[in-house]
Amino acid sequence: MVRKLTSFLIASLALLVLPLLAHHSFVMFDTAKQVTVKGTVTAFEWTNPHTYIEVDATDAEGKAKHWSVELGSPSILIQSGWKHNTLKKGSNVTLLINPLKNGDPGGLLVSATLEDGKTLGNGPGRGPATPKGK
Amino acid sequence: MRRILFLTVAATFALAADPPDLSGVWSPGRAAGAGAPAPPTPILMKGSYKTQYDALNTKIREATGRGEQYAVKGLCSPYGMPTMMQVAVYPMEVIQTPKQVTLIGEAFSEVRRIYIGMKQLSADDVAPGYYGHSVGHWEGDTLVVDTIGIKESVAGYSNLIHSDQMRITERIRRPSPDALHDQITIEDPVTLEKPVTYTLVYRRLNDYEMVEFVCDNNREYIDENNIVRMRLGSK
Repeated sequence: MVRKLTSFLIASLALLVLPLLAHHSFVMFDTAKQVTVKGTVTAFEWTNPHTYIEVDATDAEGKAKHWSVELGSPSILIQSGWKHNTLKKGSNVTLLINPLKNGDPGGLLVSATLEDGKTLGNGPGRGPATPKGK
Repeated sequence: MRRILFLTVAATFALAADPPDLSGVWSPGRAAGAGAPAPPTPILMKGSYKTQYDALNTKIREATGRGEQYAVKGLCSPYGMPTMMQVAVYPMEVIQTPKQVTLIGEAFSEVRRIYIGMKQLSADDVAPGYYGHSVGHWEGDTLVVDTIGIKESVAGYSNLIHSDQMRITERIRRPSPDALHDQITIEDPVTLEKPVTYTLVYRRLNDYEMVEFVCDNNREYIDENNIVRMRLGSK
């Protein structure tokens, strides 16, 4: 029974990490670390193989800092409630991200909190939103 | 009365003889328990190909250990056969007509066509490509597909190395109305000691519209050491 449950959990975990693997692995991102980026959207690119959010934010010392945040593909994001126009230039967002390991100001989205307080994840199994349709 | 009985029996046999309709949108899934397919057979490569294969896997493993990804394919190029048959969580659409089964993978919008009842071409007549040339026939409820003509630069299943003589045989069937299995066997007399067989499992997605996927904003690049990096935006 324990063995069956362990196999199920391993299979479930495999599915959880699958969504973004169509293009590249997560290994360049530090998935053990989370950073909050709060700022203004300068671009929302609803594109393949990945969607991107560009954000002007400020660092802990109040200095301006620009971030590039990677999301899944549109196909995957639709399952988490995203739309092509969920964000617009000038939107205020709070992004929880796994930062790049090399220290560059970029990362992989974990979840995004929008102006209306709604929180969206990064595809099925990635973040708080409930997958739909799949 | 006798005539009605005859027609009923004839219709029943006609229905039984019809191949199942594989059409629909199918999502990668998994099967467990009694209906689960056999696990994949091992990849056993010949001589110098084994050396190359082991070296590639070592590079991949060492890069992962350093927190990096070793690139095994172009980042915006399609997967080709047989990898395109299941890419992450992306669905695949099947359109079946009597003479052709068309498969459309959502990731990278990959398309392959299986010509039903057609004799396979000779290797000389197939220009090597990502999808090769596929012909199929029905054996009861199973669509048996033969594919040749995959070019050597197309990444193999689990990164195995293949030659231009690779042959892929698929046995595609619907074990239940909402499940699809594709048993794939890869043979390569040049690089493989033994054929490799594995089975992909799908479940039906109802009311799903396939999403466009054109790789036109690839920010990842492969550096001089074949490592995948992310390019930051500047907007």
